[in-house]
Amino acid sequence: MTSTLGRVVNFPIRDTAARAGAAVSRAATDVGSSVIRFTDEQPGVVDDWGRDPGLVRTIITASRLRWDVTVGGDQRLPRRKGALIVVNARAFALAPVYAALALSEVVDRPVRFVGRPDTAPVGAFMRRIGGLLDHPDEVAGALAAGQLVIMGAAHNERLRKVGRVDHALIGGALAAGVQVFPAATSSNPIGRAARLEIGVASRPPRRRRGPLSELELADQVGCDIELLLLELGDLRTGTPVDWLPLRGVGGAS
Amino acid sequence: MVMSGKRVFVSGVGGELGTTIAGLLESESWVGDLSGIDADPPRHRLHRTVFHRIHPDEHDRIVDTVARFNPHVLVHVGVWEPDARAAPSAAATLTDQAATSILGAAAECAALEHVVVRSGIEIYGRGRGALTRPNESAPIAPTSDWGRTVAAIEQTASKVGERVGVTVGAVRLAPVLGPHVPSPLGRLLRQPGVPFSVLADPPFAVIEDRDAARAIVAAARVGLAEPVNVVASGAITALQAARRGRRIPIPLVGPDWRVARALSFLLGAPIPDHVSEALHRGRLADNSRMRDLLGVMPEHGTVDVIDRLYHWPSIIHQPARVQVA
Repeated sequence: MTSTLGRVVNFPIRDTAARAGAAVSRAATDVGSSVIRFTDEQPGVVDDWGRDPGLVRTIITASRLRWDVTVGGDQRLPRRKGALIVVNARAFALAPVYAALALSEVVDRPVRFVGRPDTAPVGAFMRRIGGLLDHPDEVAGALAAGQLVIMGAAHNERLRKVGRVDHALIGGALAAGVQVFPAATSSNPIGRAARLEIGVASRPPRRRRGPLSELELADQVGCDIELLLLELGDLRTGTPVDWLPLRGVGGAS
Repeated sequence: MVMSGKRVFVSGVGGELGTTIAGLLESESWVGDLSGIDADPPRHRLHRTVFHRIHPDEHDRIVDTVARFNPHVLVHVGVWEPDARAAPSAAATLTDQAATSILGAAAECAALEHVVVRSGIEIYGRGRGALTRPNESAPIAPTSDWGRTVAAIEQTASKVGERVGVTVGAVRLAPVLGPHVPSPLGRLLRQPGVPFSVLADPPFAVIEDRDAARAIVAAARVGLAEPVNVVASGAITALQAARRGRRIPIPLVGPDWRVARALSFLLGAPIPDHVSEALHRGRLADNSRMRDLLGVMPEHGTVDVIDRLYHWPSIIHQPARVQVA
């Protein structure tokens, strides 16, 4: 059915160049949607992606019981355009979630995160607090509409190492014509202190015309996050454990 | 598309949307002769439009009428949403008959240059993993009867366009609400009690009938040659809509919905599968290409449309001054 329609009804996106052009055009025309201030959002309704500002505020208040997040580098983010922020993630640490909630407050814009399931009630709840599906088109659509989106890299057991960054989602950012920012997160399984440090936008090592660009940019983002993690320094517990030669015990990542 | 004095044929001109479209087309400078067809007469007074009252199954009369008019532009809005004016099976039959007869007849017209068909965002389906806000390039994977119906209309129109070499534009409308529009979703939301999925309560978007009509007229004017989503900005959930309308929200889980559907049917507000799907899985679409492709944007957001839904006056029964029977 799709192919039959595609032959006659000229679908807007036929190739990579047209796709990127269309996305950039959308981003340019929809800048207005990104200037919605987080503090101006009305409770009692949801936004275009089903995010509920009233619920998000409640969750942010509740999340302070668990995390006390310090955000740095937010001045590097574009003020009005969309951007993809890639963070390192540890299993069950909910790094993209707390990073999105904390960043929302700091930059006063709705911030979404990638990785909600599509089953009720968990998926429905995560959609209400800004979750997007782990799908390149979903991410590209949000970025093209001028939204800030946070995605997590895969978990890596080694400290200060970053797992695989999904290049398909990075491809969504390239298609939308927005920048990709690396960000290091650090949290403590038993403490409240957490940190989000956003680095300068990653650039692909060389210009490519094909899908290699997203692969190389994904690798570059992973390297940039590892550098940021190194800059975060070792964990300090304030106990004699710090004297032991165990670099980064329970620390960043 | 620069045009003047074009002959425009509107199918489904008897419906609220079709009548509004015809009314708007009458004031367009590029439109010359205007003709329309439907099983029911137009809802408003039309000044320039020549109306033909023909049932969709009268194939020969439809072909004769359309071929004699020989339109340059065909606007096909002769579709029946399930449980809006007809039961789902009858709606599917009528829609199929109208699409086949009218689009087939248009294909025989030598002057035909452009076809606009009314479609719906139900065409994207809401299967597991479906995009939250699909844009026009999202795969067509309908998961409801109404979605499959509009997909079939687009397919028929595209085949006609392919055969006769004319451009085809599909206007994919969100659920259309308006004071006089027969809409199963609008009817359900105006009930004293509004059911909602307690586990999901997903967001959906709508479009007001006049905004939908403006978009379809714009599609005819610019010669739209691709699909476009026509959706009001913003979104709302059933629970939020019920609260805004001061209705009683009725939380439902799983098998409760069977009972609710049966009760709602008895109360005169049947819940067809595409409305049920919207209440369980949501119904949003990306409208960012509207301005680029059509040059218009909806005047009312989804929340405004829902608020207006609850402000429409109910039927007021006035007794006759003189009782004659």
